[in-house]
Amino acid sequence: MTRSSGFSFIAPLLVLMVVAFNAPIVYMLGLAFWEKGRGFTLEHYEGLAEAPVYLRVLGNTMRIALIATLANIVIGYPLAHWMRGLGSRGRMIAIALVVLPFWVSILVRTYAWIVVLGNGGIVNRALQWSGLTDAPVSFLYNELGVTIGMANVLLPFLVLPLFAAMIRIDDRLLQAAASLGAPPRTIFWKVYFPLTLPALAAGALLVFILCLGFYVTPAILGGGRVPMISNLLDTLINQIPRWEQASAISTILLIVTLLIFAAYRRLDRKASA
Amino acid sequence: MSREAIGGSVWTRRGLAAMGVFGLVFLTVPLVIVIPMSFSSARALTFPPPSLSLRWYETFFGDPRWMEAMWTSTFVAAISSLAALVLGGLAAYGLRRGTFKGRDWAEGNFMAPLIVPTIIVAIALYLALAKVGLLGSLLGLVVAHTLLNVPLVMMVLGVAIREFDQRIEQVAWSLGASWSYAMRKVVLPNLAPSVFAAWIFAFIGSFDEVIVTSFIAGKYETVPKKMFNELVLEVNPTITAVATLLIAFTVLALAAVAFVLGRAGKLKETVV
Repeated sequence: MTRSSGFSFIAPLLVLMVVAFNAPIVYMLGLAFWEKGRGFTLEHYEGLAEAPVYLRVLGNTMRIALIATLANIVIGYPLAHWMRGLGSRGRMIAIALVVLPFWVSILVRTYAWIVVLGNGGIVNRALQWSGLTDAPVSFLYNELGVTIGMANVLLPFLVLPLFAAMIRIDDRLLQAAASLGAPPRTIFWKVYFPLTLPALAAGALLVFILCLGFYVTPAILGGGRVPMISNLLDTLINQIPRWEQASAISTILLIVTLLIFAAYRRLDRKASA
Repeated sequence: MSREAIGGSVWTRRGLAAMGVFGLVFLTVPLVIVIPMSFSSARALTFPPPSLSLRWYETFFGDPRWMEAMWTSTFVAAISSLAALVLGGLAAYGLRRGTFKGRDWAEGNFMAPLIVPTIIVAIALYLALAKVGLLGSLLGLVVAHTLLNVPLVMMVLGVAIREFDQRIEQVAWSLGASWSYAMRKVVLPNLAPSVFAAWIFAFIGSFDEVIVTSFIAGKYETVPKKMFNELVLEVNPTITAVATLLIAFTVLALAAVAFVLGRAGKLKETVV
């Protein structure tokens, strides 16, 4: 009966997923490898390798994703580490300040950077007032703006799991090291940091995956001048309809994402073990 | 104690505090700046605003296209969040309590929309809906939003169901309660705070969805889709008012979740 196996509980969702998620993705994969009347083909992929524009966009995407991920580590690790040391009240406030932006629309968070980084925005006002620059610095509609925006949007994805891993570290372990005469620097690098490394690596991989498929932030903060894979896909679907080519690129992106995700899962299991 | 053990000198600790505060400022300042800017009287986004006014809110509420987008967003979010809640909730229950084979595989498949880049989901749905003639239909939009939000529901309810002692259900059955009676009178009342949280998360998720919606909604405008289209073209200060309203909506929704979960003593598990 239902009680013993429980399969009937998942059946409705399974049907919906197969029809509206799995089938469309399989259909897309089919388009990438199929040519009308000729059957299986790799032609759409050959087209990709020949056009330099695709390689340039791919290079762009990888570079921005890498820099945004590194920025996330540099900002996120000290933040999570600092939160661990706070009292319970301070911790709750800090968690709320990390969780809230996570739930605010990505459009709002991206748009907010236009307000902050624009020529009349608070950052340029502060720079000019302090005399560091005479003319406004252009942060927007270039790679710098896109990278700042993406690092900002993705930071909670790194900080929350990292913080969760850090509070699981037993204080007595650190005290034991201290009582054996290890100076704070040694305790941090030899005991604490290695314990947080799996969670850090898992979080960084997750951020990197999300960067690869980013669409909204480069479209808005890049002003069309910083195309990433997703924006190229948008062009191939909505502007110059080349569905097969779009499917071929999507397939590559999907495979790369799933491979990195598999690595993430291994690290994540290690981190929470 | 640990703070002293690895904190090091006063300067190290101050340096760490400075970096931590910087991280929080980096996360929150953009949102905080948007709010006063939405009350600016000027067309240019100059900070601080030269003087205050409500003109951008008047523009927003006075524009029938924005109002229609708001209605569409609310309608799609209401239906799809309920569908995600029911389907995802039942599935989470089946996965936690069930013994059938292939549970890991099924769960992986249900969570996949969270991992597969949204742009790929958007393209796959675009191609498939075009094939069956449902591109630009409300049905397609609602179904897409439902499956995108199922993972959120399953994450929240999966934890709640795992922590709810199965023996309590078994007692109800052994006392002769039918399955549906036990569900209504025993399981659901205990899970109610988490169900509420899951519903709110799914509602926000749908209300804010922009990528898939932009690809498949056709002539339908939702608030994020309209916002996105306007932002790509030019920066219009009305957006600042919309952004402020969305921030206020998110803060209120999350406060409601925190209140309900906090009262049930479940805030910690759900957040971290």
